Amino acid sequence: MKLALWLYRRLARAFPHEFQVIYGADVIQLGEDIVQQIAQQNGITGLFRLVLDLAIRVPMEYLSEMRRDLAYAARTLIKSPGFALVGVLSLGIGIGVASTIFSEIHMLIFRDLPVVRDPQRLVMAQGVSYPYFEEYRKQNLFTGAAALLQGVPFSVSLDAVSGAKAERIFGQIVSPEFFSVFGVPAQRGRVFSPGLDQPGEPPLAVITDRFWRERMNADPNAVGRTLRINGMTATIVGITPKDFLGAMPIIAADLFIPTTAPARLAPELGDDVLHKRDQKPFLVLLRLAPGVTTASAEAALETLTRHLNETSADPADRDRKGKLVRLVPGGMILPIPKEARPILWALWGTLVGLMLTIACMNLANMLLAKAGARRREIAIRLAVGASRFRLIRQLVTESVLLSLAGGICGLIFAFWMTNLVSTMKLPGSTPFQFDIRPDALVLVFTLALSFVTGIGFGLAPAFAATNADVAPTLKEGGVSQMRGYRKFGMRNLLVVYQVAGSLMLLLITGFMVMGYGSIASANASFDTHTMYLLAIDPIRDGYTPDQASAFFEKLPERLRGLPAVDGVSLSSSPPFTQELGASDFAGQSDLRNAAASVSALSRQPVGAGFFAAINEKVLAGREFDDRDQRTDAPPTTALPAILNQTAAKSLFGNENPIGKRITQQPQSYDVVGVVRDLKGPSITPGFQGAIYVPMTRRMLAHPPAGGLTLMIRSNAGPDTIERVRQQIAALDPNITVFNVRTLYQSLDELNAYVRIGTIFYGGLGAFGLILASIGLAGVTAYAVTQRRKEIGIRMALGARKGQVLRLVLREGTALVAAGSVLGFAGAMILARAMSAILNVFATIFHTAASDPKLIVGAPLLLAGLAMLACYLPARRSTEIDPLKALREE
Amino acid sequence: MAKPEDFLPLKTNWFHILLSLAGEEQHGYGIMQEVFERSGGKLRLWPATLYGTVKRLIDAELIEESDERPAPELDDARRRYYRLTRLGRRVLDAETARLKELVRIVQTKRRLETAR
Repeated sequence: MKLALWLYRRLARAFPHEFQVIYGADVIQLGEDIVQQIAQQNGITGLFRLVLDLAIRVPMEYLSEMRRDLAYAARTLIKSPGFALVGVLSLGIGIGVASTIFSEIHMLIFRDLPVVRDPQRLVMAQGVSYPYFEEYRKQNLFTGAAALLQGVPFSVSLDAVSGAKAERIFGQIVSPEFFSVFGVPAQRGRVFSPGLDQPGEPPLAVITDRFWRERMNADPNAVGRTLRINGMTATIVGITPKDFLGAMPIIAADLFIPTTAPARLAPELGDDVLHKRDQKPFLVLLRLAPGVTTASAEAALETLTRHLNETSADPADRDRKGKLVRLVPGGMILPIPKEARPILWALWGTLVGLMLTIACMNLANMLLAKAGARRREIAIRLAVGASRFRLIRQLVTESVLLSLAGGICGLIFAFWMTNLVSTMKLPGSTPFQFDIRPDALVLVFTLALSFVTGIGFGLAPAFAATNADVAPTLKEGGVSQMRGYRKFGMRNLLVVYQVAGSLMLLLITGFMVMGYGSIASANASFDTHTMYLLAIDPIRDGYTPDQASAFFEKLPERLRGLPAVDGVSLSSSPPFTQELGASDFAGQSDLRNAAASVSALSRQPVGAGFFAAINEKVLAGREFDDRDQRTDAPPTTALPAILNQTAAKSLFGNENPIGKRITQQPQSYDVVGVVRDLKGPSITPGFQGAIYVPMTRRMLAHPPAGGLTLMIRSNAGPDTIERVRQQIAALDPNITVFNVRTLYQSLDELNAYVRIGTIFYGGLGAFGLILASIGLAGVTAYAVTQRRKEIGIRMALGARKGQVLRLVLREGTALVAAGSVLGFAGAMILARAMSAILNVFATIFHTAASDPKLIVGAPLLLAGLAMLACYLPARRSTEIDPLKALREE
Repeated sequence: MAKPEDFLPLKTNWFHILLSLAGEEQHGYGIMQEVFERSGGKLRLWPATLYGTVKRLIDAELIEESDERPAPELDDARRRYYRLTRLGRRVLDAETARLKELVRIVQTKRRLETAR
């Protein structure tokens, strides 16, 4: 009985404060009164019930209090919709961005491939030759191995009849073991298997579920139907399960062709690539045997590769230093090595953290401002006996409610953002696919985030607000408990932070926008709207290199005959786009003994009359003509080459480059011309050295993934495209024309990412600015109310309005100044740091940081706005009636 | 102003407490005892439940704390006394009427059954 009573008293004291104050004593009293009686009547069970009753009621009281808190919080928020809206929006953006980023990492980096069996056991090696792959396969470290080529374009038409409309479909060329290594069965028909698929068989293809549904309307008889692939007929033998899009599905495959297919079906298999040790285009997919770790497999393959290299005929292989084999996870969306993951987490984490801090700071500041205004209410509640804890909980409930609303808003924002990212077309010819959708985990993440921000950033203001002296607050109308504004340091700190933060955002965004503007445009000497680009790929329409070459000789002639055509040429990629993947070149100088070696030249194969077509004068020498395009030069003969000025200077200094020889093993070139530096939207800094090589027959046989670009400059408007199409069709109706656009559109596409980023960060900067202004206005308004009496006295003693205004504005000005200086310094440091990480930023900031418009303009804009935000509430100080203010005492 | 109908049907605990206060003012212990005896020892309002319900009844303005003390010899100074409000009385009446109606329906049905 004693124990029961002790427990009873203990529990009774755990009631919520309010309940405790009113009924606590009664509950204990009653318990004490009846305990004797209960023990007599019901024995132990009775005592147990007595305590249990209390144990159940205590949490129930808490729940009911929380419910009332929530209702109260909701009412308060509804009563000040402006405050609620700004809070919800600012948190919504913060949380939305955080969720988007989280979805991205989660979906892209840390997700296993769907459908695949036991994806953790899969590893992948890149850049392997097929003979090496066959050696790897023999190792008993693996229970399965397959080689594949990814991102391979095919020209596909559904009907085998010639003349049917062909589409460009990306697929993978896979060794027959591919599907068994992945553990992916066929949904219908069969997948490839080493036993069934041998060289010399009629062409076969496996298609994805997506292809089957989207292009074949889920035809139940699809298996056994034929496709026309690259001009050849191939039979569909199977359909893969839903959601399977091949290895590394960020470059989704819709079509699988076995490595046993003839080279005419898959030009990538030409040149006997399956037997050449120096051709290393293959990805090798390996399934680790039980007990084998990635590290041990990597070490074993390293030894094997080194051994194989020693017996290689190629001296370059024998001398190869450093790590030769690097195994990355093969069962994931993106093959990111395990070691890199913490770095990625940290990077994204910092970004998310920054975004959230800005949003939360705004919330905290707003809550502080609001708490200041509610001091009187809080003081009254404290005076009538509300516990401080209870009030803090009430205030935190409000901020949690706010942040939950923000979280919902953020989730909508995240859905919108991820949808945007998923549907965004990336520049370049390979169809990257970002399959990003917020899922349940993201939902949980977002809600958790909302709770944490709500509690975290509601707590401090709540503590500050309830830390008031009750008596003076009530007596003096809720204004005097702040002895001077120094005591409100935290809020001032927040304002400084906000001003600094938004200035930083503004400056960085400004740098981006302006710097980008300067690098985004091409320095073309004609209107980029008047150049039309069409991609064609005759090889994949079934042409032999000879046929293709003949076709390309005939086509420009016909096109030049069209009305209003100023130039026609051919290129491996659109003009003014620098190709990534720079190559090493060595130039032989007359003066210097050693050959100058330049490693970062971009190499672009261009057709005859390329520079004439883009209205570019050749500064020295000549440009390529039809003869250069026709050469079928063996690698031993030197090809002509044209350098841009940067390349000429870096290879030959001030010497005349014409006639000099350049080598890029095993090919050598003779310089025949020099042109101006052509610059387009580029992510590489400054002018890059470029070498233009002729589009030879060999090149025509290996067109890039985007096909060859036909360039037509004409003033005749969009009709030109139709006329060009007619001309191509007149030559051969089977040729597929794709990716038709103007040069302007093509360049614009390259900018899409940066533009979206710019809009996004610009919006963020602007939003931050608005929030900072609101914060400042709040601080000033607060200062004015706080110093009413003082101002009243001053005015009574004869202070003029201007003097009063200055007095009030002084504080705001100090905050703005401090914030501006900090923000400016922060932006500079950030710009430096970003430049150090990525060259892109270096160029951007270099061009922009010297621009006085931004350096002076942004802080001025911010300061102006901030001062306005101070001025508006400060004006109220001049409207203070000294008599009234003094009488309030 | 809340209408009596808003509270119907009344929760068992609420009903019993209101019923106990229908006659005279009571303190917590008294309510508990009365309910216990009235239900023939079947229903015991345990202290925390009792005061939890009292709190809700006060919040709903069905009962109130009484400042009048009973005759000094009966007064227990340590205890708080409660009484029905006007609304509380109306709610109790409404609930009684509702129960009466239910009983009437049940009896009518029973009579029909025996008549058959």
